[in-house]
Amino acid sequence: MPIEVILPKVDMDMEDGIITEWKVAAGDRVRQGQILFDIETNKSVMEVEAPGSGVIRDLAPITGEPIAVGTVVGWIDADGEAGATLPASTADAAAVPESAPAPIDEAKGPSRPVAASEHAAVASADSIRATPLARRAARMLDVDLAQIAGSGPAGRIVEKDVAAYAARAPERATASVADRLIAFNPVRRIVAHRLAESARSVPHFFLSAQIEMGALRAALRRPGPPEAAPDRAPPSVTVALAYLAGRVLALHPLLNASIEGDAVRLHTRVHVGVAIDDQGDLFVPVLRDVPSHTLDELTRDFARLRAAVRAREIVPGDMRGGTFTISNLGMYGVDAFTAIINPPESAILAIGRTVDTPVGRDGQVVLRPMATFTLSSDHRIVDGVTAARFIADLREAIEHPEGLS
Amino acid sequence: MPTELATPEAATRELSYAEAIREGLAQAMQADERVFLFGEDVGVYGGAFGVSGDLFHRFGPERVIDTPISELGIAGAAVGAAITGMKPVLELQFSDFVTLAMEQIVNQAAKIHFMFGGKATVPMVVRLPGGSGTGAAAQHSQSLEAWFAHVPGLKVVQPSTPHDAKGLLLAAIDDPNPVLIFEHKLLYKTRGPVPEDPYRVPIGNAAVRRVGRDLTIVGSSIMAIRAAAAAARLAAEDIDAEVIDLRSLRPLDFATIAASVRKTHRLLIVYEGVKIMGIGAEISAMIAESDAFDFLDAPIARLGGADVPLPYNPVLEKAAVPQEDDIVAAARRLVREGRA
Amino acid sequence: MASLPGSRTADAQAPERAELAALGDDALRVALSRMHLIRKFEETAEASYMRGLIHGTMHLSIGQEASAVGTTLKLERDDYILSTHRGHGHCIAKGADPARMFAEFFGKENGYCRGRGGSMHIADVEGGNLGANGIVAGGLPIAVGVGMSIKAQKQHRVCMVFFGDGATNEGAFHESLNMASIWRLPIVFVCENNKYGMSMDIARAMAVPNVADRASSYAIPGIAVDGNDLPAVVAAAEPAIDLARRGGGPTLLECKTYRLRGHSKSDRNLYRTKEEIETWRDKDAIRRLEHELVAHNRFAETELRAIEEAAHKTIEQALEFAKASPDPDPAQLTRDVYAD
Repeated sequence: MPIEVILPKVDMDMEDGIITEWKVAAGDRVRQGQILFDIETNKSVMEVEAPGSGVIRDLAPITGEPIAVGTVVGWIDADGEAGATLPASTADAAAVPESAPAPIDEAKGPSRPVAASEHAAVASADSIRATPLARRAARMLDVDLAQIAGSGPAGRIVEKDVAAYAARAPERATASVADRLIAFNPVRRIVAHRLAESARSVPHFFLSAQIEMGALRAALRRPGPPEAAPDRAPPSVTVALAYLAGRVLALHPLLNASIEGDAVRLHTRVHVGVAIDDQGDLFVPVLRDVPSHTLDELTRDFARLRAAVRAREIVPGDMRGGTFTISNLGMYGVDAFTAIINPPESAILAIGRTVDTPVGRDGQVVLRPMATFTLSSDHRIVDGVTAARFIADLREAIEHPEGLS
Repeated sequence: MPTELATPEAATRELSYAEAIREGLAQAMQADERVFLFGEDVGVYGGAFGVSGDLFHRFGPERVIDTPISELGIAGAAVGAAITGMKPVLELQFSDFVTLAMEQIVNQAAKIHFMFGGKATVPMVVRLPGGSGTGAAAQHSQSLEAWFAHVPGLKVVQPSTPHDAKGLLLAAIDDPNPVLIFEHKLLYKTRGPVPEDPYRVPIGNAAVRRVGRDLTIVGSSIMAIRAAAAAARLAAEDIDAEVIDLRSLRPLDFATIAASVRKTHRLLIVYEGVKIMGIGAEISAMIAESDAFDFLDAPIARLGGADVPLPYNPVLEKAAVPQEDDIVAAARRLVREGRA
Repeated sequence: MASLPGSRTADAQAPERAELAALGDDALRVALSRMHLIRKFEETAEASYMRGLIHGTMHLSIGQEASAVGTTLKLERDDYILSTHRGHGHCIAKGADPARMFAEFFGKENGYCRGRGGSMHIADVEGGNLGANGIVAGGLPIAVGVGMSIKAQKQHRVCMVFFGDGATNEGAFHESLNMASIWRLPIVFVCENNKYGMSMDIARAMAVPNVADRASSYAIPGIAVDGNDLPAVVAAAEPAIDLARRGGGPTLLECKTYRLRGHSKSDRNLYRTKEEIETWRDKDAIRRLEHELVAHNRFAETELRAIEEAAHKTIEQALEFAKASPDPDPAQLTRDVYAD
């Protein structure tokens, strides 16, 4: 049976992609996993691997036009007999398709027969209730649907179930003794690609400063107006820092900028991305137009975004358009760290935990709650003094948070 | 295929759906003396639903022609006039009466261009007031548009707004093929922005009335209006519906539907015609046959007319066709429970 | 009726009857040539069919040639005709090229309809033939529209529409005659009464003895004529054409004739006797006219044979043209479903 080569969905919000280069030619013998072609999405260029081994044919032409996700762009004719290229063991082994088995065999539930043959697994997969999208997602993520409990009617597996399963998969993998290869899920793939690109191409430099957090904490503990009390979520330090950073950024345009070719775009509005983790995946939802919103508004918006991330219902629009990012690992006990800039932004602020630290005040050594802020800047846009002035203003804003509202 | 968002281009003036059609007719007749309107009681009476209004007085009895009650005859007359250089616009008083004119529309108008090897064209327009909700009962309330969408050679459009009613009419009059315009009786009095210039709404382009991400609701005519209203209510429940107004049934803007389904993963098709063997079946099958199938995260759902002749009693009549509440409920179930 | 079947009562010494005297030699030569072309065309078509060269079916008008040729003899090139399923005669009589007709018969790309229409839908739009029609009475309402179009465009054309006796029991017939009358449209309604609607004798199917009697309901002239008598048919048709052209409105002209072949190729003639068919064979319009012309010394026998021979040659060449013509390309299957 010939194997379809499709234009895969490699990006969360991807609907189509442009084939920029074929790495193979019609008639070439390809191995499963070999890079077949590059596709360009609205975010990046991705390599697409061969879904099977054999001789490739009927390559879609390179037209520069977007091709819908799922479109067949080529075919691989499997080798005449599987045994021809594989060491023949048994007839059964030869009949096993070359596609990788489900990545987490060990995680099979106890109710499943451990020694289930490939054939049995295929048969049971046929009787699984799953939506077309869930089946597609399972194919893309190389997940075995039989491992998943569906949340739809009559146990139907929907896409959300597959995504959640795939997201949990790495944790389970740690329980295993054997080395295993886990395919990136789409979220991870984007993160990996973008951060690698940033680390490779952006000349980072780092400035750190210790900032006293006492006044900010006190301000956040103050009760809000009574009428707002019932549904007023207490603002978190993270959101408050996003709020303050946003106001300071409005005065430091080079820190709220991005590179475009040989030019710098200074953004009129300040959209602050806040890095958050969900089950091992990094998401950076964006708080919009921070300087023109109150802290309460930002708190509500952030709560909505975080809930969406948890439910894996965050839409691409909520993660686009950031002009600056903050990443707070204080709650994980980290003292200080440096972060990689989220391209195409020009800077990212990494925040460590707040620790009571001896500091000199008026000739006395006193304990003060201090946190280490580390700003990573793109040296193509930002110089040391520019960054230092930003840090100084940020310190002023955090240590004297008057008018926090 | 290009689509447009809900708001038409800047228009300050509001007209009713009926007025918009009348303005389109007048502009077409003014611009092209080959255009004429004919049908039962379109003259002094002004049309059974008042659409032709004062056109008789403005254009005279040779361009706004009252006909005998001879639906087959007048449908054929439209064919004959169209193939010999005129651009007739025929009003059938109620769309149900098209049953009397089927022969000429289906066997003649639809086929002449093809059957004669492309040697003749049939640039005729048939306007058909359809739909239920007026208490006109079983023989005056049907939605028969799907019958005609089944016929190669015909074009079928179903405007939902005054803007589209005028724009599609003018596009239909320009079109060298027979175009059936199914107007909805309940929409004649609805008002909306209508530019004064004789603009065209291209036949075959759906309009995305609301952008959303949780499900796609497809409808046309009054069902597009109800779907949009339902979507506004669903938004309050945090269900973000995308609403597509088909505007044309044939040709069908499938690309817009498929793109939406690929995005939202759920599809609800709403139509007034009897549910089985209807527009919903076709769209559903086209999605199932297309690459959009792989993006479905729930079964496709249809809301259509009940499997009965339209009843007279107003409660029964309402129950026989999808209402806004039905759309809200079906969409909610589809998103929350995975099936409508 | 003018003469008895097969009789040789015409006397060289007796004066020609007025209908014949009204026709000059050139007109008679044209008429004879057309009748021979039709006869030979149909006989050749029949032979080709029997040899399996033509698929589908065909409706032959052998025996009815005088009606087709006589009614159209006084039409102008830019007058319109609308024809029937038994329409080869009308088509040739209106001046169509038998080669392209045969090509259509064979389903070839250079046939009148690019092979898409076949025998039942031959149209020669440039030549004023707006098409044969597969639906009984299908052309009648279209003729009304053509008449409206002629009037609206202030042209001096006439539309002649052919139909059989069976069609006069369709609603379309009555609707069309009524509208043509109230609007005084330039139409000549020609009923070729060949006695049978497929198998049903018109005497059993119609409440009045003559189709022409039905004209009285519509206050238009109704004239019955021996459809196998060419000069009589011309004499009846000419005033009707003139009346229409002058704005005097329509006429219903009934040509009483007979089809010598079955309804279609699958007809086993169970509803009529061999004797009846033989009786009518004796009234054959072509032989009858030729006898009369020879008797009055209008044409020499050799001249008549030369006319016939020329017709045969034309048809043979037409057949060769059709056989050598290219088939349509299946890749072009959906071409011309819509006009651009």
